Amino acid sequence: MRYVKLPKENTHAFLERLKEWGRLYAPVKISEKFYDFREIDDVRKVEFNYNRTIMPPKKFFFLPREKLFEFNLAKAEYKEVIEDVEPFVLFGVHACDIFGLKVLDTVYLDELPDKYYKVRREKGIIIGISCMPDDYCFCNLRETDFADDGFDLFLHELPDGWLVRVGTPTGHRIVDKNIKLFEEVTTEDICNFREFENRRSKAFKYHEDWSNLRYLLELEMEHPMWEEQADICLACGNCNTTCPTCRCYEVQDIVNLDGNTGYRERRWDSCQFRSHGLVAGNHNFRPTKKDRFRNRYLCKNSYNEKLGVSYCVGCGRCTYFCPAGISFVRNLRTIMGLEERSCPPELSEEIPKRGFAYASEVRGEDL
Amino acid sequence: MENGKVRIGFYALTSCYGCQLQFAMMDEILQLLPHAEIVCWYMIERNSYEEEPVDIAFIEGSVSTEEEVELVKKIRENAKIVVAVGSCAVHGGVQSWEKDKPLEELWKTVYGDGKVKFEPKMAEPVSKYIKVDYNIYGCPPEKKDFLYAIGTFLVGSWPEDIDYPVCLECRLNGYPCVLIEKGEPCLGPITRAGCDARCPNYGIACIGCRGAIGYDVAWFDSLARVFKEKGLTKEEILERMKIFNAHNPKLEEMVEKIFQEVKE
Repeated sequence: MRYVKLPKENTHAFLERLKEWGRLYAPVKISEKFYDFREIDDVRKVEFNYNRTIMPPKKFFFLPREKLFEFNLAKAEYKEVIEDVEPFVLFGVHACDIFGLKVLDTVYLDELPDKYYKVRREKGIIIGISCMPDDYCFCNLRETDFADDGFDLFLHELPDGWLVRVGTPTGHRIVDKNIKLFEEVTTEDICNFREFENRRSKAFKYHEDWSNLRYLLELEMEHPMWEEQADICLACGNCNTTCPTCRCYEVQDIVNLDGNTGYRERRWDSCQFRSHGLVAGNHNFRPTKKDRFRNRYLCKNSYNEKLGVSYCVGCGRCTYFCPAGISFVRNLRTIMGLEERSCPPELSEEIPKRGFAYASEVRGEDL
Repeated sequence: MENGKVRIGFYALTSCYGCQLQFAMMDEILQLLPHAEIVCWYMIERNSYEEEPVDIAFIEGSVSTEEEVELVKKIRENAKIVVAVGSCAVHGGVQSWEKDKPLEELWKTVYGDGKVKFEPKMAEPVSKYIKVDYNIYGCPPEKKDFLYAIGTFLVGSWPEDIDYPVCLECRLNGYPCVLIEKGEPCLGPITRAGCDARCPNYGIACIGCRGAIGYDVAWFDSLARVFKEKGLTKEEILERMKIFNAHNPKLEEMVEKIFQEVKE
């Protein structure tokens, strides 16, 4: 791998130069407490030490709302609407979010590529940035705290600048075209990089082994935690929409008032919504709030065999942006026996019914 | 359908007429006219016939007089599809907010000793009197709600109901969360989406004008718990949640549950 140094005083000049590669998006403060990736006009507004953006980088590749195709019923024709995507630069992506995109790639690029995702992914330049964890971060436990690939450049904070790892040929070209902005990495820089990394790994709240988690979750489908926490849940779907790896969508056909032409649109969906599990005949795979609540925990903690990590990358958004104050980490730690009241005190006489085959009664509702 | 044209009627009960105005102002209506016959719609057609059969009947407003009870029954008899339009028709509207007070008291507050020619009733949703086939929500509804419903009916299909909260659209648009950040009693989590989170876009907490989500997935209890933790009293919570949901059969019981928890 190639390493260069970007001195602090050149940071803004570098950001300015990035605009030559396409529209520049970076984290900015959007309100009193929240950050988000927005298009950058004035590079001085870029936040280098943000905790997390409310919306994950997936929004640039898998659009929140998107027209898929237009149709004409009389002619029995449809035409895919795939935008001509201009190259763009996404600056300031944390390691967890880079893993988030890698997870999405395993779903939307491998085997049956999603055209709409692919065209944007090919045009997006990713520039990673190092970070210091806060109390909500647990990427260390997910082994997504350090990105080996998935970026064109990765900037690691130094006291007087950035140690830059170059990840792709595009990354090389960006450095080469702006070589005057960069310096060679010195021994002191390496020491500083090492010191930062050590300080960072100690800053995580939890240092423990979560490797049995996904199995315990399956075994503890009837743990009282589910009932208690699902009762608090608002089912607003914030946990899904702010998640860097949630990728479910809903489609809808919109017919124009000529009764002939129209288009199909997709938008992000949430497994916390009733209609997510609703199928023909008014049957619902997940008829209760508890079923839906539990589903996200199981989905996020399942094993992505292509990457060898879980679908949750430990960014902390689902907890940070939960209006009901539900802690994903605390609930997982309850299941793993790392919190108080982990094991229910009373043993039931009934043979526990575990797994999807025993889903609660399917509820028929008036439509 | 006659001559391949869909026969449409738009009827108004007690309301501000804002819903039909929203519909009437849509440029897309011009696209619709070759395929539809407006049988009854006083706002745009002087020659309207309230008692003619129609394919789709849109009803705006709450049932608030005895005369309106008779009118909606007649509309039902004459229509293949009945669509309740707007918060008044769907949920009884803001005029139902104080529905627990005696009608005479409310009447006196508004009209004093004034005489009217009709027989007043407590404001109620249309579905209380007749079967409603589809709802278009909002105060007023969004133009796209009309487009979607009518477009789908025109091709002989059935439009989907909305069963998810405003929060989804608030996130899709990338707005900051008013409830988390400002601690304001935003009703987004229990309110039907479709408005594209219009109010949170301006940093204003949702007051629930599209009404609570149906299918028993409006979690009044969980949201009341969040509001309570933010310091709101039971009365304040109920007052706010009832603005557009006074007729919701679950609301009070679910909020009550949260305040029972404390006493234990």
